[in-house]
Amino acid sequence: MKRLLLTISVLILIFSACTDKFEDYNTDQKNPANVPASALFSNAQKELSDYYSNTNVNINIFLMMSQYWTETTYIDEANYDLVNRNIPANIWSRLYLRVLTDLKEAKNLIEATEVLPGLEARKKNQLQIIELLNIYTWSHLVDVFGAIPYTEALNPDNVYPAYDNGPAIYDDLFTRLNTALANLDETATSFGSADLYYGGDVSKWVKFGNSLKVKLAIITADDDDAFSKTAVEAAVANVFSSNDDNCLMAYMTSAPNYNQLYADLVASGRHDFVPANTLVDAMNTLDDPRRAAYFTMYEGSYIGGTYGYPNSWSQYSHISDLIQTPDFPGIMMTYPEVCFYLAEAAERGYSVDKTAEEWYNEGITASFAFWGVADVDTYLAKPEVAYTTAEGTWRQKIGIQSWIANYVNGAVGYNNWRRLDYPILNLPEWVEEYSGIPVRFTFPINEQTLNKDNYDAASTMIGGDLISTKLFWDKN
Amino acid sequence: MKTFVVPIIIKYISHVLEKLSALLINPKICCMKRLCVFLACLVFVGINTLQAQRTVQITGTVTSAEDGMPIPGASVQVKGTTVGASTDADGKYLLNAPDNATTLVFSFVGLKTQEVEIGGRTSIDVVLEVDALTLEEIVVTALGISREKKSLGYAVQEVKGDEVNQVKGDNFLSQLSGRVAGVQIKSNTNFGGSNNIIIRGSSSLTGNNQALFIVDGIPIDNSNTNNSGQVSGRNGYDYGNAASDINPNDIESISVLKGAAATALYGSRAANGVVLITTKKGFNTAGKGPQVKLSSNVTFSTMDKSTFPEYQLEYGAGYGKYYYSDVEDGHPGFEYYADVNGDGITDFTVPYYEDASRGEKFDPSVMVYQWDALYPESPNYLKATPWVAGANGPDTFFETGIIKSENIDISGGNEKTTYRLGYTYFDQNGIMPNSILKKNNVIFTGTQKMFNDKVTVTSSANYIKTNGTGRPSTGYSDNIVSGFRQWYQVNVDIQQQKEMYDLTEQNITWNPSEYSNLAPAYWDNPYWVRYQNYETDGRSRFIGYTQLDWDITSDLKATTRYAIDTYSELQEERKAVGSGSGEFGVGRPDVTSGYSRYARDFQETNFDFMLTYRKKIADMLDLSALAGTNIRRTRSESVFVSTNNGLAVAGLYALSNTIDPMDLPEESLRIIGVNGIFGSISLGVLDTYYIDATIRRDQSSSLPTDNNTFIYPSVTGSIIFSNLLKQDWLTLGKLRVNYAEVGSSAPPLSVKDTYLANSPFSGNSMATVSNTKLNSNLLPERQKAIEGGLEMNFFRSRVGFDLAFYKNNTINQLMPVSISFATGFASKWVNAGEIENKGVELALNGTPVKSGDFSWDISVNWAKNVNKVIELYVDESGNEVKNLQLAGLQGGVTINATVGEPYGTIKGTDFLYHENGGKLVNPANGRYYKSSANDIVIGDVNPDWNAGIRNSFRYKDISLSFLIDMQQGGDIFSLDLWYGMATGLYKETAGLNDLGNDLRDPITYVNDDPTQGYASNSGGLIEEGVFEDGTPNTVRRNQENYGAIGYALDPNKRFVYDASYIKLRELAITYNLPHSLVSKISMASASISFVGSNLWIIHKNLPYADPEASQGSGNIQGWQSGVMPATRNFGFTLNLQF
Repeated sequence: MKRLLLTISVLILIFSACTDKFEDYNTDQKNPANVPASALFSNAQKELSDYYSNTNVNINIFLMMSQYWTETTYIDEANYDLVNRNIPANIWSRLYLRVLTDLKEAKNLIEATEVLPGLEARKKNQLQIIELLNIYTWSHLVDVFGAIPYTEALNPDNVYPAYDNGPAIYDDLFTRLNTALANLDETATSFGSADLYYGGDVSKWVKFGNSLKVKLAIITADDDDAFSKTAVEAAVANVFSSNDDNCLMAYMTSAPNYNQLYADLVASGRHDFVPANTLVDAMNTLDDPRRAAYFTMYEGSYIGGTYGYPNSWSQYSHISDLIQTPDFPGIMMTYPEVCFYLAEAAERGYSVDKTAEEWYNEGITASFAFWGVADVDTYLAKPEVAYTTAEGTWRQKIGIQSWIANYVNGAVGYNNWRRLDYPILNLPEWVEEYSGIPVRFTFPINEQTLNKDNYDAASTMIGGDLISTKLFWDKN
Repeated sequence: MKTFVVPIIIKYISHVLEKLSALLINPKICCMKRLCVFLACLVFVGINTLQAQRTVQITGTVTSAEDGMPIPGASVQVKGTTVGASTDADGKYLLNAPDNATTLVFSFVGLKTQEVEIGGRTSIDVVLEVDALTLEEIVVTALGISREKKSLGYAVQEVKGDEVNQVKGDNFLSQLSGRVAGVQIKSNTNFGGSNNIIIRGSSSLTGNNQALFIVDGIPIDNSNTNNSGQVSGRNGYDYGNAASDINPNDIESISVLKGAAATALYGSRAANGVVLITTKKGFNTAGKGPQVKLSSNVTFSTMDKSTFPEYQLEYGAGYGKYYYSDVEDGHPGFEYYADVNGDGITDFTVPYYEDASRGEKFDPSVMVYQWDALYPESPNYLKATPWVAGANGPDTFFETGIIKSENIDISGGNEKTTYRLGYTYFDQNGIMPNSILKKNNVIFTGTQKMFNDKVTVTSSANYIKTNGTGRPSTGYSDNIVSGFRQWYQVNVDIQQQKEMYDLTEQNITWNPSEYSNLAPAYWDNPYWVRYQNYETDGRSRFIGYTQLDWDITSDLKATTRYAIDTYSELQEERKAVGSGSGEFGVGRPDVTSGYSRYARDFQETNFDFMLTYRKKIADMLDLSALAGTNIRRTRSESVFVSTNNGLAVAGLYALSNTIDPMDLPEESLRIIGVNGIFGSISLGVLDTYYIDATIRRDQSSSLPTDNNTFIYPSVTGSIIFSNLLKQDWLTLGKLRVNYAEVGSSAPPLSVKDTYLANSPFSGNSMATVSNTKLNSNLLPERQKAIEGGLEMNFFRSRVGFDLAFYKNNTINQLMPVSISFATGFASKWVNAGEIENKGVELALNGTPVKSGDFSWDISVNWAKNVNKVIELYVDESGNEVKNLQLAGLQGGVTINATVGEPYGTIKGTDFLYHENGGKLVNPANGRYYKSSANDIVIGDVNPDWNAGIRNSFRYKDISLSFLIDMQQGGDIFSLDLWYGMATGLYKETAGLNDLGNDLRDPITYVNDDPTQGYASNSGGLIEEGVFEDGTPNTVRRNQENYGAIGYALDPNKRFVYDASYIKLRELAITYNLPHSLVSKISMASASISFVGSNLWIIHKNLPYADPEASQGSGNIQGWQSGVMPATRNFGFTLNLQF
């Protein structure tokens, strides 16, 4: 009997003595508590490119907004249904949660790391490169929504971040951009191979930063021409000088590291998209040889699906095989894109080394080169293409050609259409409730419940949370 | 006759041995488990062969002391055995007792049980006295403590094991439905699927709301391992919940502890109520050898057609009539671009790559090339066929399911030792082709008394092996049934798909991409999916304990118990080379083939030590006290890994067969430690006044270490007022009231932030910040519950009721509250929020008729719970979060917790309404206006009330019982109808309109002039609604194309249905073979039963589906997509006892 009592007592002692392990129990043994900053930076780069280069109807519908493509059977997004799939919330989720937070964390980790004096320059470069990606991402968010939480964003202790208006954010982004450019040191290294865009080449980042400055300045030129002039003229000497400088994400051939366009177009096994007649007809008119790189032929010709209407997939041109390869690069910013900004700058009377026509031709030439299409001279000589003889104002000429050249970069196409009002997009009238092509995206619906007061204030600030509310830089 | 019985026994025994030996050589079982099984085997083998015993016939009459009348249906039993008989209409009995029987036990409800020594007599008459306090009913309460029910200050409801064991099914939980007031069970239609069990409403905002299962004092894990994609309605399988491992054959009784006061001693995890199960044990058979029971069942399942779509059979493949614009040819719904037969002339082809039925109208005179013209293996290769509806619809895809269940139960013992060995084999084929579920369950329990009977050691070992093959997939995508309900062409003959699969074993689908590319567009051949893309799963589980009870003195008793519940499970999913693309494996990319493995190991150990003290003081005061400790460790570890980008070699399901290097596996390790101490004290005065108090302190590893203990109390009181009133008609009257608090700990790993690693990119490591911000200042959440009840029995317990009222508030909830994405996080762990549940439960029992050979018993359960989210999260500056989204689902609806609303609101788009209540119609197109906001409350998943009525009748040797189970209210959003109406599958989408024209005809006007009104041949329909000025709608709505009704052009609200139902849940007719016959073949008893379950859905408001169907158990309910039809089950059971 005593033995029994003893045994029980011992058992109790053994068991009740093990609370010291409680700390270990509640420590995650399968996920890291510490990671290198470069791992967060690489991840943010990939997430940014994945977001930018996809055509998932839940996330990125800019290929429809720019009428490069249209849908076959399920035509809601081509008819601008932003609500059914919560597209605005998904954009925020991608950019705030996956890109900006990781960039912020990478920055914090780098800043907190003491380095040897010899590595100070590298550390500084890393911080500037992070800053450039931040600026790129923030400006995209402004371009889509008009106003966004910015100064109060990315702080989980403030769960009700106020919105900042677009012009104020852009002002701050220019300041940040100038600071970053001033602090980049081309003689030093940066992230090395962890930089998935430029392999750590700081000189490329300098060009990227200056090109980005031109881009942002041209986007806002209708709002503050004098400011943009100064900005563009300060940057023009150091922008991209050829396709070699393009900011691309070199995707790989297998999941999860292949191009997200491949995931949506090929791996999904679905046939949801065909090139839109808007683009195909325009290129047919110009007999544009880039069609072979952009589309496939249907029965010997290029036929685009009627924008916004149901289209039988079998009976139209398809997206080219090149674009549907798994390692097709993610296009973040290209030389042709920048050329057209500079052509526009020249037309606005900014001093940009070359004339509008020269930059226009350079843009088209670089675009042919980028897509591996020959015989650009013949194309440039066509009266409908040649800058002096092509139809319309500079807004029309540059609008049409930059639209064609920026193919598959839907966000740029959508921006340029809003600024330049060209090309003339088709009105989808299949859905009878249709009421105009959106000139901005509405705020995520969950902001109305999770951040209501600030949502209301922001709606008032921009003139209503509507798809018809124009952005501050969209003057016409 | 004996020669008939013996072979059956031999067959059973050899079957059992075969299964046991299979278990022994299974390498997955660890050594300890193997040892236990081995020991169980030894005992089994050691059992003597059965021998016929000599019996003595005893007869007599049982009468009532009250009126001297004979009592029919009284039970007479040989003490210590199950040999017994019941009295006939004249109160007479005849019993064949073993010759060594010493005592008979006479009993009847409402009367005092009497034991009579046989003393060599062959005729024994007995007079039974009225039992003043009939309900000396003993029930099992928390920690396995048996208490007199009358002394309890809280509600406990018991269900006998036999009740849940009549119907053989894969999950005994289904059988509890409708039997206990306040327990809401949702038996979904998934084969082998999980059942949702909620007691007194959901109390946790984001935590687990499922009841806790305790078997013989051991908490039994009831995890549902369905992955997050499956739970939120993407594709996947419902792997069931782990409590379905409990074998109904082993259940002696179930006691449901509903309120916090009843469960307070169990601590934090029992806040959702407890289902307490007591298993059968061996007993003293006084050296007469073991008692053997055999039971064999076969059950057939067929589809309940009221839960499957009725299709329109007028229009076939296509999303509209826009495939061929040259209307001169008259077939705009066909395509006209391919030369299928190669004769140089373009042919009309069906848009076979589409998955809708809004195409051309059927016309047998039109010949067209369909899917079967494209495959060389097809008899119709290159042949056009008449354009008609498929001869065999999707309903013919479902087969007749069969369940076979066999059980052997051997028990016995003597004064010192008892034992029981049970073995059950269960084998089920579902109504989907190639769906199989097998279970082997062996249990051994033994007790041994020692040290002058002061110490009793009890040991139990239960080994359960469950294997599933081909569970049906669930959810929106990659689910055959969502195809049938949402995306289908009614021109397809499903049996032709079967023939093609049987012939070729290839994925010859009705839905190829193009005539020049036969890869599946969206849907595979359904038979290919069933026979090639099937999952397999297995769970190997050991549950065991050793318990030592020591009577230190006559008043003081000590109990120690060490219990373990451990299992390994493996889920393997396959996608065969040649399948259509779909989400699969780690990261859910779209692939056309693949193989994945999810392996999980679970282990929980509980060590309990308790001291109990009981003393009766001066005949008027009953005192009992208890103190104890519980030490719990739970560990769950899982790995999910899959091939990447497909399988290199077809048919080889191995990870090494991956095409690209595998993506990072998903690993999880979660450990919980809880150390608890508890105590209670109970006082009873004059058998009339009772008071109980408990207190428990828990220390939990999942809370911040510097603040990880919490204490919670309960107090209950009751008064048996019938003792004061002393009225003849009032058998029992009791009032009870209680108050309790229960604390709950956080889920593990919610305190310290970590990063998440992503797949490396070209040699660069990748990591990201988690989307959920953790919180190092979490506090335990707390439930405060108050309950009152009234229990009365009248007329010697012929009629009685038990009424309970309760109110539970769970405050300080631990939850990841959704926050603006602009914070950089999607959610943040906080202590916040309050949910209130209040309700009424009523249980009625009665025996309306009890005369002669006939008796009728009835029991009714009714419960209403009102749930309300009082508050979610208010930050320091007073900003309030008003909504917590639990899930965002396909169709744009969300399931939410919203302040001021019940937990589980369905939100989406609504109609716009006129002030007179009418739905506003757009005069431009005859469609309903739709709200621009999509966060309007359009439904509530909580039922208004649930009820069950059980009737049982007995006439001589035949008994009949049936259970009607009902639910009033609760809402469901049907994605099936939302899409299926848009794609034109259902019969409502075709037929004639009010003008007698085809609905789908174009809308036409007199002289083509809309101002002159509609032409007499106009199609379209007029929706019921009003214009903005309140006048009734007169505008026709076009019905030609995809989305003409349903989907994006209608508000979600249109597809929210009332989930009420009335079901004939169970029907059983049992015939007990006459004892005179049975005894001749040396059996104690024998019976044969017809048992049916879910035979008839008497009423429901949801068309074409079972309102209980869902994607599985958990907090996300009220949404249906591709749900399996319900099954009607009926079968026969043979029970033999020796």
